[in-house]
Amino acid sequence: MMFLRSMLIAASLATLLAALPALAAHPRVVATLPTLAQLAREVAGGDADVEALLAPNQDPHYADAKPSLVIALNRADLLLFNGLDLEVGWLPALVRQARNPKLLPGAAGAFDASRYVQKLRVPTSVDRAQGDIHPGGNPHFSWDPRAGAAIAEGLATALGQLDPEHAAAYRQRGAGLAQQLRALAAEERQKFAALPAAQRQVAVYHDSLVYLLDWLGLQQVATIEPRPGIPPDPAHLAKVVGQLKAARVPALLQEEYYPRNASDQVARLTGAKLAVLPAGPRGPTDYARYVRALAAAIYAVQAGK
Amino acid sequence: MGGHDATGSGFNLHYLELFGESNVDPYLHFQTSIAIGKDGVELEEVFVDTLALPGNLLVKAGKFLSDFGRANPTHPHVWSFADQPLMLGKFFGADGNRAVGAQVGWLLPLPWFVEAKLAAQQADNACCNRSMLGDAPRPVQAADDLQYTGTLRTFAPLNDDWSLYVGASAQAGPNPLVMGLGTQIVGGDLYLRWRPVADAERRSVSLQIEHARRQRDLGSQSLVDQAGYAQIVAMVAQRWEVGWRSEWATGVAGDPLNPEWTSTRTRHAAQATFYPSHFSRIRLQVSRDQPGWLNEPVYGALLMVESVVGAHGSHGY
Repeated sequence: MMFLRSMLIAASLATLLAALPALAAHPRVVATLPTLAQLAREVAGGDADVEALLAPNQDPHYADAKPSLVIALNRADLLLFNGLDLEVGWLPALVRQARNPKLLPGAAGAFDASRYVQKLRVPTSVDRAQGDIHPGGNPHFSWDPRAGAAIAEGLATALGQLDPEHAAAYRQRGAGLAQQLRALAAEERQKFAALPAAQRQVAVYHDSLVYLLDWLGLQQVATIEPRPGIPPDPAHLAKVVGQLKAARVPALLQEEYYPRNASDQVARLTGAKLAVLPAGPRGPTDYARYVRALAAAIYAVQAGK
Repeated sequence: MGGHDATGSGFNLHYLELFGESNVDPYLHFQTSIAIGKDGVELEEVFVDTLALPGNLLVKAGKFLSDFGRANPTHPHVWSFADQPLMLGKFFGADGNRAVGAQVGWLLPLPWFVEAKLAAQQADNACCNRSMLGDAPRPVQAADDLQYTGTLRTFAPLNDDWSLYVGASAQAGPNPLVMGLGTQIVGGDLYLRWRPVADAERRSVSLQIEHARRQRDLGSQSLVDQAGYAQIVAMVAQRWEVGWRSEWATGVAGDPLNPEWTSTRTRHAAQATFYPSHFSRIRLQVSRDQPGWLNEPVYGALLMVESVVGAHGSHGY
């Protein structure tokens, strides 16, 4: 009996604890990627609570659909996701389990960031023999400050609709951030444009840097993966080494969550410098500082510094 | 034992599964799985579930796999071994436990994940031929002519890399020899997974253990037997997986509902799998099966090719 009573008290306390955050007036934003969460934090200021589902060093293609993420989605007012099927392997199942109609497709709380972005590499035909391609276009735009600016403006509007009392503040912060990011994008692009053409060539591991390269005016000469999601075989690596040597490509880029062996080998055989890019912001930073640091890391290898 | 297991030596076509799912409207989601195999076309699952019920509730109605334990609600394309665990075949039947009915799931309002589910389903047909009415249907005239499955499940993200998922399940239903809920099955399951989120090779190690105890009242006597398995599956590199599974299942001499299974059976299997891509796999599995009623163990080896085409589905945990 004592045991039952203790269990009842514990359950009531837990229910009360769970209900407490609901008393706070702040809208709750759940973002899939830490990069998108960072944008949301800057637009939200102190007027909304923001959390990310994934860790900043995690590959969003292959995240586990952990049931703990259901809890965050169950309580969210807005789900900020990348879209273009980047999270297709784990997010839809979680959203269904979350029992939260605010986040269903088409609802005001379902914010598909890709809708605000000028899409690149939209395939004209879709066949899995091409590898794991995304039918709606390349989804890796979250670190392009031009995309970040458009998303910030869209988010400001969406948050304003959810929380009309602070709509003006969201709009002001969104517009300010968008302006800052567009200026940053232009400034960095100009800096890269000053490099000689040969030094604006680059090789990548996965076909995931197209927005970054488009922003910085870099030319992708070779890709370590023969097709998206297919690890390289020796014959393909030999071909990549040949391409890099022939074109005197100075740099090789990849995200931190891809294997390093093949890239290290290509770098060693060609003399190209490898830059391993942080997939998301971490520590006390902001979106602008994060993308500026990315550009600086890329500039260093392109310029051979 | 399993409806999707290889049935003979030589080449076997396990089955072709057609899977479809879509939101119906802002209120309902639809899902179906149709298997085409050696026995023809079979509607394995077809159900609708709710998207927008208040109170953290989720109701499912149609034909579906009951949520008893971890293995039963899953389809072969997510299995870590080429065959179905013995406990499913022994307690539920060749196709696992699935039947027409309805289920209510409740996500408890707690800061961590706890989900409770209760289902009522038909207790006849191939779904339940090992424990419930099976092929001896009788009209549903009272509540105890149906089978009931209750599940309680909780998840603990121990840190970014380690997770623990545990569940308890119970099922009760009628068997053909007595009136009332004459069969009861209770079980527990555990899933401990290590997967470092930042690992470029996507390495992981998962330990999964399930065990269940079944009691069947047959009027004059009560038959009790148990079954379970423990498996460890490791992604050792981006495209390579290995696994080991040990299984056990006791038997009862003179069991009128399961006459061939008279004593304990153990089975061990090892597998190595190569994933050419995210959408295909080639698996080699070897096994040693020791049914207590045979003098010699049975050794098996299986090479399996499996592929998935179409839109990328989303996986559960």
